[in-house]
Formats: sequence, structure tokens, C-alpha cells
Amino acid sequence: MKRKLSIMLAMVMVGSTLLAGCGKSEPQTIPTTTEETTAEETAPATASGAQELTFVLSNEPDGIDPSITNNSFAATFISNCFEGLVTNDESGSVVPGSAETWDISEDGTVYTFHLRAGLKWSDGTDLTAEDFVYAIQRVLTPETTAQYVSMITTYVAGAQEFYDGTGTADSLGVKAVDAKTLEITLIQPTSFFIDVLSMWVYDPVQKATIEANGDKWTTTPETYVCNGPYKITEMNMGESVVLERNENYWDNANTTMDKITLRYILDTSTALTAYESGEVDGIRNVPASDVTRLKAEDAGVQTVPSFGTVYYLINCEKEPYNNPLVRKALNLAIDRQSIIDNVVQIDAQPAYNFISPGYVVNGVDLTDGRSDRELSATANVEAAQAALAEAGYPNGEGFPTLQLSYYSDDTVKKVVEALAEMLKTNLGIKVEITSNDWAIYYEDVQKGNYEVAAMGWSADYMHPMSFLPLLVTKDVSNNSFYSNSEYDALVKQVMSETDATKALDLMRQAEDLVMNDYPYINLYYKANNFLMKNNVTGFYMTASGNLYFKHAVKGE
Amino acid sequence: MVKYFAKRFAMMLIALFMIVLITFVIMHSIPGGPFTSDRKVSEDVEKALNEKYNLDAPLYEQFFEYIGNLLKGDMGPSFKYTGKSVNDFIANGFPVSAKLGGITIIFVLIAAIPMGILAAIKNGRWQDMTVMAVATIGVTIPSFVIASVLIYTFSFRLDWLPTYGLDTWKGYILPVVALGGYSLSYLARLMRSSLLEVMGQDYIRTARAKGLTELKVITKHALRNALIPVITVLGPTVAGLMTGSFVIEKIFAIPGLGVHFVNSVSQRDYTTIMGVTVFYATFLLAMVFIVDIFYCLIDPRIKFE
Repeated sequence: MKRKLSIMLAMVMVGSTLLAGCGKSEPQTIPTTTEETTAEETAPATASGAQELTFVLSNEPDGIDPSITNNSFAATFISNCFEGLVTNDESGSVVPGSAETWDISEDGTVYTFHLRAGLKWSDGTDLTAEDFVYAIQRVLTPETTAQYVSMITTYVAGAQEFYDGTGTADSLGVKAVDAKTLEITLIQPTSFFIDVLSMWVYDPVQKATIEANGDKWTTTPETYVCNGPYKITEMNMGESVVLERNENYWDNANTTMDKITLRYILDTSTALTAYESGEVDGIRNVPASDVTRLKAEDAGVQTVPSFGTVYYLINCEKEPYNNPLVRKALNLAIDRQSIIDNVVQIDAQPAYNFISPGYVVNGVDLTDGRSDRELSATANVEAAQAALAEAGYPNGEGFPTLQLSYYSDDTVKKVVEALAEMLKTNLGIKVEITSNDWAIYYEDVQKGNYEVAAMGWSADYMHPMSFLPLLVTKDVSNNSFYSNSEYDALVKQVMSETDATKALDLMRQAEDLVMNDYPYINLYYKANNFLMKNNVTGFYMTASGNLYFKHAVKGE
Repeated sequence: MVKYFAKRFAMMLIALFMIVLITFVIMHSIPGGPFTSDRKVSEDVEKALNEKYNLDAPLYEQFFEYIGNLLKGDMGPSFKYTGKSVNDFIANGFPVSAKLGGITIIFVLIAAIPMGILAAIKNGRWQDMTVMAVATIGVTIPSFVIASVLIYTFSFRLDWLPTYGLDTWKGYILPVVALGGYSLSYLARLMRSSLLEVMGQDYIRTARAKGLTELKVITKHALRNALIPVITVLGPTVAGLMTGSFVIEKIFAIPGLGVHFVNSVSQRDYTTIMGVTVFYATFLLAMVFIVDIFYCLIDPRIKFE
């Protein structure tokens, strides 16, 4: 009896710890931005047959309340069920959403938005400027625990004070002038505020349903009141969510797809089998090893560049990595093309800098003509060894064993093994690999308890400013502990620069400054792959991974 | 006997309390918290989150509060999924897992016991060899491999059965086979060896000496005793199958409880870890308790004091 009991205890405990090993954390698919490239360029097909489709998601979001979540898995729900003041079109630009037009004051700090006529919530009630005020005030209430709150407090006047409790609704720079006019006042002129505004944290939410249902308002179709092209008509926990067209959406006449079933299939191989046997119309995550084959078969692979970069952090505070020459040597010793082609097997560009391409001002991409930092797609062994020798470690002699850390993930594991091999053979140094599950790993990284660590970044909005703070001294997101006061000053200048061309120039200078110090090992720029049957057209995905079904059409 | 079961029941409650306590302590001592996300939230937000979920209170206080709520049947809100409670997860996930598990158990019993009996009777002959070969495969090959092979064959190649979900009765076939494969093989082997052992006992010889037919010897005398070991493992097996398997539920995209066992741990969703552990432990203990009751019904040699 006693023995049985202890065995049972052991079973329960071993069960929970063993299982912890195979969980999948989300860092692989990090969050969100706001630009896009069209996924589907084909001329609008004529609708044929029932306008219904089943799309597979591989991850359940932590919530679908636009005011609260910053989870990228929520994107498909929020992008289709809600519409903020501005939204994204298929070409990737920010376009009017709930606001028809807006004016910006002379000094660039006051934005006046004119809402469209006849805006309604999905329950048929009127949507007014007051609703936007309510939503923003709700985000700025600590009890809401809004994860993107800093995307408002950083830019909007009086927002931080409101959050801290020292300011009032009167001193907050968000006001409803009348039912159709919303005024937002900024702390300082911000040239990219409209880009920031396209983030879902600025979406309106309905006061009535939230006051009646609290946190639970997002958990039943009846209480999930929204204002986008689609509304939710069915929620089956852990199984599926059904979206149907929202007749109260202002542009409902231009929506063709009547019903979209978003089905969770956590196992990507099962999802792929279901797709290939025709049980579903599309899947959000494609197993990397199948992409090449699926492309060859013209099976509907959609590749969308995303505004993000995969890189490895180097701890810039730790000996000997505080020496830029050592960091340069590590960078030179990596064969990026081989990692892209043979290990990750994706269609991606090797990265020599940390800001990914995609941000364009007057037809000029920030990354045009950017330095390659003496790096090339393949490893430059001689230069790498020279840099290491210059740092005082000829042929890697006397160099301490390098700790290469990563989080439990199959793809990352393969990359790490390849990297370790390249560093060993090209630099003659010893490399030790360590791994942990994400929660533990990330805590170590934040504490600086690492030497070289796997990481990556996907921008929150389509502007390089969502990258630049990563290297600002003491920024919460600065995990490489890099510090350069000149850079910090430049980033500050970018924040207040109203002229987009000048800002572009400043950002180029800033990036140039830090990247010559090699605070990261940049590997490649990210891209999103998903599948959609060839008879479905008109959908598009932004560089942030937001998938819009608004204009999707199913043909023959 | 009533006294014995009362004592047994009290022990069960103590065991349950220990499980709750130990899980709670282990859970809080592993590094990382529920709000460690890739997108670092500001300190303000973290503070607000900790306040909302009462995570800044001392651990013992959190523990007693948890126990208090648990006694009221409230397992608390999920830390990870806004607006959802652990009770919701169990209320939604358990019926799905239990239905699949229940069907699997019936399938396992219907198949395993006759297989074991057949193998024992035809000991050493080709029927025995076949059953044992199948059972060995079932025990050694992991369920996810069986599942993948089944999906590939019956869904992808032959296109007879759906790849995922339990929307129609056809959807149950593959998950039931994959889920039950191990238990089926294990029980068949156990049935066989246990029956063989019983067949060598003196009282079987006596029964045969009385001139009973072989059929009567097996059904009336041997089987009842041979079933005891099978019933012993049936308790935990039922609990295991009915509370859901992470692997099978993931592969067949079944919205059961199994997925929460695993994901809650890697996400450090404290209340969900506790909730599913408590639920599973209770279920398991109850099954073992029921098995004990069955013992005295089936085995006259066991006397409870």
C-alpha cells in the first residue's frame, strides 16, 4: 500500500517533468509588424461554389482581446474581426480603416481622425469616437494588464501619467470631439505614428460587452463584439473558431467569403497531410523540410518576407566578447548560405545587419546600399582568423570555451550544431552547447547569463524604430548589453525627427555605428511560409504575419 | 471491511494533499514564470500581472489560498489564456478525452482478453506466436509512430478515413487504435502469462481430474483468478486513457485534456499545471480505489482487515 502510493506520486511527478521536455514555446514565431507584401497577385477570380474555407492554425493564441494580447498567434483573429483607425492593404501600405481621413496639425503633434459614416459594431449598435477613447483608456488601466501598453505610453501625451494614476482622462491626449471625430495628441511629433497606429492595441473595443462580461467577453461568440469584416459565430475550445461575415461592417459589400473555419491542428505533419488530402484549404505553418518539395509541386506555398531577423546574441559585457574583434571573428567564421540552404532549408536572404529590408521612404529602402560589414554569404576563414589573432588569440589559442546556448526547438537545434561546427573548424576554438526550455532560457538571457545565444526579432510595426531600441543602453529589450552613447543619442533624434527622409538618414547612421561593432551574429532575414490551395485568391499577409481574408475568394 | 475502506479513503486524501503540495513546490521552484514571453513586457505590466494573479504574495499564502479555492471547486483562472479558467479547460477537454478513452478501453478489453486467452490455450503454437508477435510490436513501437503510419496508410494513401478530428464515427478509428495499441498489447501479454500460471495450479489439476471439460475448466476456474493481475493494471490504465494522451491528441488534433498536461508546464501556467495534476491524481486514486473494491469481489483469498 505504501509502495503503491509512492509509485503513484512518482508517476504523477515524472509525468509532469518529462512532458515539459516536449512542449513547444512560441519564440520561433515571434510577434508582429505592419507592412506587407502581397501573397497573391493573381487577378480576382470569379467566385464559384460555396464561399467557405477551412484554414489550419498550428498554435492557439493566449487571448484574442486586442487591448490585452501581444501574441502573434492572435493575429489571424484580430486582423479579420477588428479594424482600427487605419489598416493594411494588399500592397503593404497603411490605409484608412475605420477612419476615412485624418488631418495632422502644423507642428505634427495633433492628429484629427474623421470616422466613416454609419460605423457599427457586429451587434448592430453604433460605433463612435467614444469607443476608441474607451479602448485606449482601458489599455492604460494597469488592471487590464495590456502587454502592448508601451506602444501607447511612448507616443501619446498624458498616457504614461494616466497609467501611473497621476494623470486624468482630461490630461490624456485622446479625445472624442464629437461622435465622428477623434483627436489624438502626441508627446512630440512622430513621423511614424501612423505605422504605430496600425497595431491592434489601438483597435476599438465595446464598453457594453466588457462591462457586462469582464475578462470573459472574448470567450463566447455572443459576447465577442467586434467591428471588422468578420465576426465569430462559433468557438470550440482547443478545436476551432468559426468566422462569418459581419453584415454590420461598413465594407461588407466587398467581402466574398461567407465562412472561414479556423481549425487548430497543433501537429504540422498532420496539418500537411490534411491539406494534401484535400480536407482543408490552407495551413498557417508549413514543416520546413517540406517547403522545397511543395514548391516544386506547385502546391500553393506562399512565401511572404517578414520584417524580422534571426540572429545570435553575443554578450558584449563578458570577456572576451567585450572585444569587437572577437565578435567580428565569430561573424566572419559563419557560412550563412549553407545554414539557409542545408540546415533551415528556407528561401531567405543572409543577414549582415540587423534591420531587415522592407522599410521604404520615397522609393528608397533603408537597406539599399548598406555595408556588408566585410561579411559574405559564405565564411571568410582567413579574415576570421586574422581578426581573432588581432584580438590576441592566434589560431584560437588561449580562447576560453565558447558557450553556445539555445532554447529547445528542433530547427534551432540544427542551426546551433552547424554553427558550433563552423566556429570549431574555422577558428580553432572549443564550443560547448547548452539548451533549456524557453522560460528558463529566456530568463538566463535577460540576466546576461550566456555568451552566445539564439534569438531573433520580428518587428511590432513596419518601421525600423521597432528594431533600434534593441541596442539602446539599458533598454528592456537590450539583451546583448551593448552600450554606445553616440548610438543612444542618434536613436533619440530619430524619435523626434518629423522629416521621413532625414529620419531615414539618421537611422542608417545609427545602424552603421552599431553594426561595425558586431553586437550580434546576424544570420538571415525572416520570411513566413504558409499554404493555400490554388483556387483561393485575394487574401494577403503582411510582413508581420497578419493574414487578411477580407477579399478572399474561392474559385473553381 | 468498511473500516478498511474508510482507512483507505483517508489515505487517499492524504496522498492527494501531498501531490498538491509537492507539485506546487516543484512548480514554483523551477526557473521562469508564466509571464516570461519573447516580447518582454515592461516592469509596470509585469507588476500589474503579478498583482492580478496574486503572485507577489508569499508562497505559503498562495498555497493556502489555492487549497481554499480548490475545496470550493474553483481551480482559478488560467495565467496564460486571458478570460479562460482551468475549470473551463477540464469541462471542455475531459469529456472529449474521456469519450475517446472510454471507447479505447472497450476496444482494448474486447481484443486483449480473448487474444491473451487464445495465446495461453494454444501455448507455443502458431496462434500464440502470432498474438505475441503483434503484442510485442504494440508494446515496443511508440504510439506516435503507430499514429503516423496509420495516418499515412489510411488517410493519405487510401483516403478511407479522416486525418484529424472526431467529427464523425470514422474519425475515432485511427486514434482508438493508436491510443489503445500499447495497452492492448500489454494486457494481452499479461492475460496470457497470468492464465498460463493459473493453469499450472493444483486446483486446475483437481478440476480436470473431476472430469470437467477444458472449456469449463478455463471459464469456471482459471479465468477468474487469471483476471486479477489484469484488473490491477486496469485501474491506472483506465485513468491514463481517459484523461487524454498528449501525443495522440496532438497528432489527431483532438481538443482533449492531454495537451494541457504538457503545454501548461512549458508555459508555466501555474493554475493549469495544478488543476490538471489534481484532476489526474484524483482520477487515478479513485480508479485504484475501485480496483481494490473489485479485488475482494473477485478474489476470495483476499480478506480486508
